[in-house]
Amino acid sequence: MIPMLSITDTHADSPAHAVVTAIVNAIPSPELGWTGLILLFPAISVVLTGLCCALRVKSKLPGWITVLALAGSFALVLKLYFLRGDAGAPVVVHLWDWMNFSWGNQDKWHSLQADVSVYVDSLTLFWLLFVTGLGTLIAIYATEYMEADVGKGYARFFNGVSIFILAMCTLVMADNLILMYLGWEGVGLASYLLIGYYYKKPAAAAAGQKAFIVNRIGDLGLAVGIWLIWVNYGTIEFNTLFQVWNDADRGVGGFDKALIPYCLMLGAFGKSAQLPLYVWLPDAMEGPTPVSALIHAATMVTAGVYLIARTYPLFTLHPDALATVAWVGGLTAIFSATIGMAQYDFKRVFAYSTISQLGYMFMGLGVGTTFGAAYHTLTHAFFKALLFLTAGAIMHGFAGQLDLRKLSGLRKVPGFKIVSWTMLIGCLWLSAFPYSAGMLSKDVILVQALSGKDHGFVWLGWIGLITAAMTAYYAFRVWFRVCAGPVFYMPGEESHDDHDAHHDDHGAHADPTSTTSHEFHPHAPRWAMNGVLLIIMLGAFATGIPGYMEMRGESNWAQVMMAHSSAFAGSVQAHVTDAVNFGMNPHQLVEVFGTAASLGGIAIAMYFHLLQRKSADKLRAWLLAHNSIRWIPVAMENKWYVDEFYHACVRGPAWIAGHILHFTDKHVVDGLMVNGIGRIPAALGRLFQPLYNGVLQGYATTMAGGAALVVAWVVYRWLTSGVGA
Amino acid sequence: MSSFIPMGPKIAVLTPEIIVFGGSVLVSIIGLSRSKTLRNSVPLLAALTLLASLVAIAFGYSNEAAEQAGVLMPHFNKIIKTIILVIGIGLVAISVGHIDRRMEDAVARGATTFDPMRVVRGEFYAFMLLSICGAMLIPGSPDLIWLFLALELTSLPTYIMVAMSRGTRRAQEAAVKYFFLGAMSTAIFLYGFALIYGSTGSLQLSTIREVFADQVGRGGIDTLGTTGLILCILGFCYKLAAAPMHFYAPDVYEGAANPVTGFLSFIPKIAGFAALAVLLNTVGWSGHAGISETGTVIGGLPAPILATLWMISALTMTLGNIGALLQKSVKRMLAYSSISHSGYMVLAIIAGPGLGFEALLFYLISYGVTNLAIFGALSGLQKRGEDVESFEELSGIGRRYPGLAAWLAIGSGSLMGMPPLLGFWAKLMLFMAGVQAGHTPLVIIAALNSAVSVWYYLRLIGVPTLSPPGTSSEGVLKGPSSWPRFAGAVAAFVVILLPLFASRILGNSAEFAPVRPASSAKPVPTTTQETPREENAQLALHCSPTRL
Repeated sequence: MIPMLSITDTHADSPAHAVVTAIVNAIPSPELGWTGLILLFPAISVVLTGLCCALRVKSKLPGWITVLALAGSFALVLKLYFLRGDAGAPVVVHLWDWMNFSWGNQDKWHSLQADVSVYVDSLTLFWLLFVTGLGTLIAIYATEYMEADVGKGYARFFNGVSIFILAMCTLVMADNLILMYLGWEGVGLASYLLIGYYYKKPAAAAAGQKAFIVNRIGDLGLAVGIWLIWVNYGTIEFNTLFQVWNDADRGVGGFDKALIPYCLMLGAFGKSAQLPLYVWLPDAMEGPTPVSALIHAATMVTAGVYLIARTYPLFTLHPDALATVAWVGGLTAIFSATIGMAQYDFKRVFAYSTISQLGYMFMGLGVGTTFGAAYHTLTHAFFKALLFLTAGAIMHGFAGQLDLRKLSGLRKVPGFKIVSWTMLIGCLWLSAFPYSAGMLSKDVILVQALSGKDHGFVWLGWIGLITAAMTAYYAFRVWFRVCAGPVFYMPGEESHDDHDAHHDDHGAHADPTSTTSHEFHPHAPRWAMNGVLLIIMLGAFATGIPGYMEMRGESNWAQVMMAHSSAFAGSVQAHVTDAVNFGMNPHQLVEVFGTAASLGGIAIAMYFHLLQRKSADKLRAWLLAHNSIRWIPVAMENKWYVDEFYHACVRGPAWIAGHILHFTDKHVVDGLMVNGIGRIPAALGRLFQPLYNGVLQGYATTMAGGAALVVAWVVYRWLTSGVGA
Repeated sequence: MSSFIPMGPKIAVLTPEIIVFGGSVLVSIIGLSRSKTLRNSVPLLAALTLLASLVAIAFGYSNEAAEQAGVLMPHFNKIIKTIILVIGIGLVAISVGHIDRRMEDAVARGATTFDPMRVVRGEFYAFMLLSICGAMLIPGSPDLIWLFLALELTSLPTYIMVAMSRGTRRAQEAAVKYFFLGAMSTAIFLYGFALIYGSTGSLQLSTIREVFADQVGRGGIDTLGTTGLILCILGFCYKLAAAPMHFYAPDVYEGAANPVTGFLSFIPKIAGFAALAVLLNTVGWSGHAGISETGTVIGGLPAPILATLWMISALTMTLGNIGALLQKSVKRMLAYSSISHSGYMVLAIIAGPGLGFEALLFYLISYGVTNLAIFGALSGLQKRGEDVESFEELSGIGRRYPGLAAWLAIGSGSLMGMPPLLGFWAKLMLFMAGVQAGHTPLVIIAALNSAVSVWYYLRLIGVPTLSPPGTSSEGVLKGPSSWPRFAGAVAAFVVILLPLFASRILGNSAEFAPVRPASSAKPVPTTTQETPREENAQLALHCSPTRL
């Protein structure tokens, strides 16, 4: 058992009360050295796929190397999980020394130690399980999805995926903040490389840069946070940090301590695409769809959630820190849901839904249920990966078509049955359909929010419920449009190569120049894609199990795992029965209103997008006809002009500053400094011209003279003044 | 004191050098063969020789045996030799395909027949191995004669290598300059040796150490000895390319072929630093330098020598960086950069054993590897059979040869000290050693210099990748052999990856300190004040050497 200590309750008159848990001291476990292999397998894969890149291998070899490596890592993670169980104590596995600096004197002794070591607790395992598991599955899917690029970018793609898994595992397994930062930057690099995979397409290259640059802002926050942690606690190793935290005061600290959670959350908001740094994620959809599924839905974007869960104790350093996280999450959830409702590109709809669901996770962290946040991360990883992979299958089959107005009734198109029905499951889970895993995990968060009394958490709960209705609407807007209704489809723009290659066997009657819609034959997914879709669907069902157990008040592995990690310390325990709204306690409230929101949203979507599709256009026309409200659809379709706002406020000034600097550089720096001050060395050079004129005697004289000067000076200074040498 | 050291153990300790020497003889003969295959195998043979020597060190070297054979700093000796050999293999790789390029082309085209009188490849690699052999002999020197001969064995072959590296007049002019100025520097330190002999009456370093310790006990090292030491330091400065003996570097580096420039900027430098460490060991850093609780420096080098080194360090780094700022030739720029890096490394010599030497060794590794990355990339390019040496010629080559531009950028970033590359950690260790030894002002000068150097290193990153290809970069093509590029690639990867494993490499140098000669029972007293031994022990505890 973990020793429980209760400290001064920051929520004094709230029915919920803060319980601060001492974090168990990690056991050094050299016998677990094989956990290093979890990192080594993807690293080998990086090298091998890199070699495939260099040797221009024209087969699916790099894909299968990656799959094998990731499967190996996953197997080891499973072994570790079964070895330790849900509630094992944290362990530190020292792989090798990395840096260890110490300086100063007796009064002030500083040291900075960061080794390449692994810190494994339940939180790490929780993340590792779905990162490596989903990574393996999505890599299998990608071996088929990317097959058009075999011999071209195939090896480069899998190289990026391997880099990503390596960096992500480093991020969650690191035993210190610097190694974690290395992983953090590594996943950023992999994300950049993979978003810009189609680098010849300007939009993809620009999206890659945008993701990289926006993430830099967050990373700056994280870097400052790490520095502040080191300044305040004198260590950056998690275990030492937690032990210092256990022993030291845990209350509100001084300004520099209070700043730590805010710096860390800035990093988390950047990586996890929260307000105000979410703008990169929708554009990141320019990358290949398996990448969107793996990196930009299931795993990398949850790194922010992991960061906050890992450093959760530090978020008690300022009373408003967690509330800030909660509110940013809640506002992001509803804000991006409004955008998601009005997009026509269904991959973007899913991207905005990812931002929105990440908002829920941050809300969960903020209101004090790290279990809810982590559990929602898990369910979301599965159903969102499922949704993206189905979207990918549709893109793959319809030559990159993503416009939900140009596809309809796919469930009746041969070969797309599995895609349609797995997508339905994904949409049901996303819209929190009663008793689906998505609903169970979301409810944990909403119940916790509605039972809070401080910081307006109750309002946050209501925002969450409203967002749930919007989510159900836009999820089913996609499914009813794309998969239901009459059969109708138009291929996308990438048809030419793929189409011709696919129809070579059609013989004389096939006209290779024609790519009109009635000539187009969709390219149905084969076993790798379908199989992965089915497995992930089963996984999505399975993620519901902890939720059912939680609902019935039983302890479950997800709960136990969170309770035995640093994420639990400082977490608020739910006491939900007291808070009453509409005569119901939060549990009943969420059950009733959540169900209503989900079913209501689906019903509205059904009316507008299945039964009366014309009325959706009529509604839009009606809204646009009224000047007082026409801004609503316009703003939503244009993503609230946030990109334009940033363009005006950040890019514009930066562009102007750039030009001013260029002007300065050209006329002031080059003109005055280089040609002016720069003349000083030149002038000095001219002064010393005899020294550097290339004439041997000159050099010899100068060198001998220099030596003589030194000797003369030393003789004068020490030997004639009588001071003992 | 005259101590007779039996010949057997001494020769056993010298096995690595003997292997390298044997290799040089073999290579010089095989280079004259009529068979093209045999001639082409010369670099391979040279590399294998170095590898064999490395194996001899790895499995046949023990600190105890070396100490018994009269080596004063056995561990230092081993590490320096290992670094020289490993980097030496890289230097052999980057020079493949360079020497006799025209002659071999002509023979291949059938324009001429093979004439043993007109080829120099065998000699070139033989001299290369001899120079490496000389450098390896330095850190184990037991006396001044040995040290002198080893230093000359390092230098003399390099003069010829510069001359034969390419057939131009500039190379020969550079060789002549290098030789005459080198001879003068030799005269300076030889005079220093004579004065030291005059002061102490011995050529044995261990005896000199004892006599100096006696003199310190009686109020300070005498005039003769101090002047001798300072002249030696100044003479060694020529090998380091440190002020005031640095003038030759830009001209000579520019005149020599690219791979030879790479050789010149590393092997003589590491030889010079090893010689400096061996020489200064006679006056000692008093066990270790450190800061007492009151903040004063205790122990350390004798004041005049400390002041000289301090000045050399500050001057060298500053002059090197200022000189590099506006160079149009990459090689002149790298020559100045090499000068400034010597300045940084003198700081490590000042900091002394423990953290300082650790920083010095790490810096030498970092500098050697980075140098290989840059010169590997440069030697892998050619323009109409000639070396590529100006920034203009490199302009925009990243579009055609992204790999080579990347090696240049990685190398340049490492020289600049950009995290997380190798050079950053080297500089960090160096600066920390400097601060711990109480030379914060010098560290600040070094840090400022480091900031200034970003200016010109960024050009080496930017010009190949960002600038548009110009007229002078059009004719730049890949060189005939892919070995230089391969060596550059390996070095670049090491620059990126080594920081992760750095502690493994220097792990056993944590307890590194020059071992006192067994015959010298007396500890060398501190020079500025008498410090009780207990206090020293306590200090050692606080200034525990850290590992990277």
